[in-house]
Amino acid sequence: MTPLIFAFKLLIAVPVALVLALTAIWYIWESGNTVLYDSYAQKMFSGLENYGLLAIPLFMLTGEMMNEGGMTRRLINAARVFVGGFRGGLAYINLLANMFMAAIIGSATAQIAVMARAMTPEMEKEGYDTGFAAATTAAGGLLAPVIPPSMMFVIYGVLAQIPIGEMFLAGILPGLLLAAAFAGVIVAVGIVQGFPKGEWFTGPQALSALLWCLPAALIPLAIIGGILFGIATPTESAAIASLIAFLIGWLVYGELKPAALFEMFRRTAVNASMIIFMIAAANVFGWVIIYEALPQKLAALITSITSDPFLFLLIVNVILLFVGMLIDGIAAVILIAPILLPIAMNDYDISPYQFGVVMCLNLVLGLLTPPVGVGLYIASSMSGVSPGRILKSLWPFLLAVAVILVLLSRYPWFSTAFV
Amino acid sequence: MIGRISARWAQAELTLAAALAVSVTGLILLNVITRSVGAALFWVDELAIYAMAWMTFLGASAALHYGHAVAVTILTDALPSPLQRIAARAVDLIALGFALFMLWFCWRWFAPLDLARHGFDTKAFQGATFNFIYAEPTTTLGIRKFWVWLVMWAFALGATLHSLANLLEPTPRDRTTQP
Repeated sequence: MTPLIFAFKLLIAVPVALVLALTAIWYIWESGNTVLYDSYAQKMFSGLENYGLLAIPLFMLTGEMMNEGGMTRRLINAARVFVGGFRGGLAYINLLANMFMAAIIGSATAQIAVMARAMTPEMEKEGYDTGFAAATTAAGGLLAPVIPPSMMFVIYGVLAQIPIGEMFLAGILPGLLLAAAFAGVIVAVGIVQGFPKGEWFTGPQALSALLWCLPAALIPLAIIGGILFGIATPTESAAIASLIAFLIGWLVYGELKPAALFEMFRRTAVNASMIIFMIAAANVFGWVIIYEALPQKLAALITSITSDPFLFLLIVNVILLFVGMLIDGIAAVILIAPILLPIAMNDYDISPYQFGVVMCLNLVLGLLTPPVGVGLYIASSMSGVSPGRILKSLWPFLLAVAVILVLLSRYPWFSTAFV
Repeated sequence: MIGRISARWAQAELTLAAALAVSVTGLILLNVITRSVGAALFWVDELAIYAMAWMTFLGASAALHYGHAVAVTILTDALPSPLQRIAARAVDLIALGFALFMLWFCWRWFAPLDLARHGFDTKAFQGATFNFIYAEPTTTLGIRKFWVWLVMWAFALGATLHSLANLLEPTPRDRTTQP
């Protein structure tokens, strides 16, 4: 009965957090164990007593500061210095700038929104196919949750009870691999369709573009360096990053007004509470899962099919692909991780880092696939290109992600090399 | 009337949540600074976590008014608009049910009547009910934890107000979802 009610509530668009919380209430009622209601509210609160979660509002704040502070334009200019002169230069600029952004912003949708507005018109102007321009930007957004910092990794790390810093490190190689695969796709599309010629900056132009971008480069250095060398926790480096982003936007670029600060904090509070509340609800939902022994039942079913971890991951990938098509990425991680992770770790001996990278990349792919492709719709509304048109140029990128997913599932080394 | 109160209340909740977001940022930065000069403050982490929890529950209550929530809209988007309205009403009703449950849970947990019956003597209350909510300390802050937990009341009351106001609106507002 519980699963039916669960599905019904999800389908009539009850907020995911409420679905989780109400399913727990329902199950406790059904099991007659109503003494659990006494500690229900406490259990909900205790889901948030986790130091790692503090990173979520802070990374969101950093994103807000970047958007307002004029950093995006400078990052794009810096990317131009490195790849601008190649044939199809702007496409590579788009990709490289997306990599820079991914090292600062931790959310795919936020990144797609910013980049679609900045890059797509520019590519159109230079004669690129609009669908291809928007598709490249949307695909570039997939780098955000894989290249650290990543909001999804923070949430996964909290759910899986593994250090978030290590989880970030696990994303570095897969992120580079993904970027390389996207570059490969752009090359291939260029050979088939032909791209407009690019133009190199002159020496002084290049120098000024790099100089202007230099302060912005401090942010990824602070985040990744701080974690890599163990100077700061991910939470602290997120706070430092937001401070740097504010100071640069305000003092160096002069585009950020301190008067706008409170509004940014307000938006941060709105967006962060939406996600963190889902985690509070997931904490009570965790009860249901434990009492119903759902992972064990599912494990018995799956282990009877295969005992090979690679095959298991492939099955998981197919399941996640469907889940990702229907449910927003972060919500899906919160729903799925508590069910599948114990199976992966206990029955197949899969590293939680590898599982996290595969799972997050897979679910984020759902942002770009209909019917519930939030990222696709954002790219479409920001660039003014229809979703169908974007999809027509997007499929080679999606295929590349699928190949990378298989690689990451087959070779754990990609995810665990730095951990 | 209740719609206006709900709007005002949501505004207040969000302003407070924003202020808490400021304090989270400030506290973590304070932590970085004090640690780097070798004078780490041991109570900052716990306070920052509570500030975040308060921000979350206040924001989550206000979200019911503004309709900020992640939801699966694939089916409801495809429905004809009369059915869509019914579904929206059903969601409002379910949200109100959840809010009332939260109120009840808070009531059971804080047991204010039992506490009053024992003359607000927490020792006698504990002895009689085996409910140790008023004895639980915070780890580093030196206050009792039920002060921190009081936010669950704010959440339950706010959620009840907003979901009731939503339900009583003549036509459901457009509460599309955008993460």
